[in-house]
Amino acid sequence: MSGEILIQQPGNAVVTDLGRTRGPRFGLPVNGALDQYSARAANILAGNLDNHPLVEITALDFRMKATTDILIAVTGAPLTLTVGGRPSSQWEPVSVRAGETVSIRGIHRGLRAYLAIHGSIEAETLLGSVAPDTVVGFGLQLKEGTRLLTRRSVGPVRQPYFDLPLFRLGLDRPRMDSDLLVDVTDGPDVAEFGESGELLFTSEYAVSGRSNHIGLRLGGELPERTSSGEVLSRGVPVGAVEVPSREELLVLHRGRGVTAGYPVLAVVTSTGLDVLAQARPGDKVRFRKTTVAEATAAHRRSRAHLETLRESVNTVFGLLGIGCRPQWQDLPVAACS
Amino acid sequence: MSVLAAAPTEIYESGDSALRVVAISEASELNWLTVHGLADWLESCGAEGLHGAVPTYDSVLVEFDPILVSARQVRAFVKLGLLELGRSAASAAAPREFDVPVVYGGEYGPDLERVADHQGISVEEVIRLHTGKTYTVRCLGAPAGSPMMDGPAFPKPVPRLKDPRLSVPAGAVAVAGRQAVIAPASAPGGWCVIGQTPLSVLNIRREPLVPYKPGDILRFRQIRAEDFSGFVGMELEPRAVEPHALEPLTSGAQP
Repeated sequence: MSGEILIQQPGNAVVTDLGRTRGPRFGLPVNGALDQYSARAANILAGNLDNHPLVEITALDFRMKATTDILIAVTGAPLTLTVGGRPSSQWEPVSVRAGETVSIRGIHRGLRAYLAIHGSIEAETLLGSVAPDTVVGFGLQLKEGTRLLTRRSVGPVRQPYFDLPLFRLGLDRPRMDSDLLVDVTDGPDVAEFGESGELLFTSEYAVSGRSNHIGLRLGGELPERTSSGEVLSRGVPVGAVEVPSREELLVLHRGRGVTAGYPVLAVVTSTGLDVLAQARPGDKVRFRKTTVAEATAAHRRSRAHLETLRESVNTVFGLLGIGCRPQWQDLPVAACS
Repeated sequence: MSVLAAAPTEIYESGDSALRVVAISEASELNWLTVHGLADWLESCGAEGLHGAVPTYDSVLVEFDPILVSARQVRAFVKLGLLELGRSAASAAAPREFDVPVVYGGEYGPDLERVADHQGISVEEVIRLHTGKTYTVRCLGAPAGSPMMDGPAFPKPVPRLKDPRLSVPAGAVAVAGRQAVIAPASAPGGWCVIGQTPLSVLNIRREPLVPYKPGDILRFRQIRAEDFSGFVGMELEPRAVEPHALEPLTSGAQP
């Protein structure tokens, strides 16, 4: 049985996934969830595949109504989550009954939240991904009244005693502060900045309000290019740190144009990009130099946490019959520890 | 295409999920063939964890998933690909040709006069140089699969705008440095817009999203502003290869 939700207050929300990895070859940015860790975690907690379509909510309050029984998980920036008026836990699976309203309010630290629904969401794809691409005009931006179909409905899963939270999966939640520490590796063009490149690690930068999914603009002391002359357009990686003007540092994120003609001073690591995805205008950013080997190790450690989580979720969902017995009712006491 | 010896290359780390491979021979054509040949090989080798490659003029950005494959392994793939390029005859598909109608100047090309002034030549001469050349699509770039091409034979490189425009319309025909381009989609841009084609270039309902690929050939043709609307809604398509183009014409074959 499929499920359905109705968007009541869209705020700033889109349906996305982990990105269009085939895009860059055709001149399209990868796009997709900016905080990849939180997006993966939401899908795992909802019993989905990591790359399933889910909702990315940026900064503003969001409200939707389930018109069938569903199971959701909300991750990302800290916020106030209520389901049918009851306060509910973020970073855990949450059962929603038909007719109940899911409300997400008060994103004050961090910027982006992720809402995954068991059975994922039906949406159109472009080059194999549902991720919006604002440049080519593709994607599903949610509006008041949008109806989203999920491939599965999940009957109510509730702790029969005192209505305590059912799940305590205990996932590592990323810290979200207004002082961000972002790891970078040397960029391929670091030599073009001479000694001024070190400024990147000794200065503090402020996130500009003109930042978005294409790139973050940061004010502060700027390294200067010592070489001059036209650079031929080249493919630039997500995370590239450039100094295109005298006013701001530019850090490219997942919506970046795939080619550019500016030298790349440094590149933000995969885990660092998740940190920047949660940066709010006015937040302070410091950069820390690392190596590709260390960055890869950190990335793999973080993914290992998610793999452990996946095992716990599979075990619990198996016990509860989620995904195999859609009409499951209240739990036997033994299943709730 | 004849047997291709790959140009010598340098490989640079570009973060934990990408490498930049730069071809460093003196011959720009060989560099271009090398990075595109390498990108094609990497695409087709089917190695797990390789997302794809973004080849441009003399470099290719190779993107990968560092959970599935290490930067060291990707370097090994790149070196293997370069060896294979040197060993095998690349059989590139015959280039297709595209005619691009363009209205120059006025509201369609707000920077035409600026470019003429900077070059110290007349507006007519800018148009003559821009339409007088056959362009090879060097790569697909930002935004949205723009055809990046070597620019017209202007006396000097064209400087980018000091204040990039917040929005350049789809179909804008622009130049910067020694490069030329068409914008498939509306986007911010700092290149000098000298004209606009009424044809639509991008179609996200079909794959590939843009009709040309690297190696294909474009020509620009001037049309009058009053003819612009007659082309609106039409798509840029390769010129049909007429059957008689393949064989010598026999007299009286055409009605």
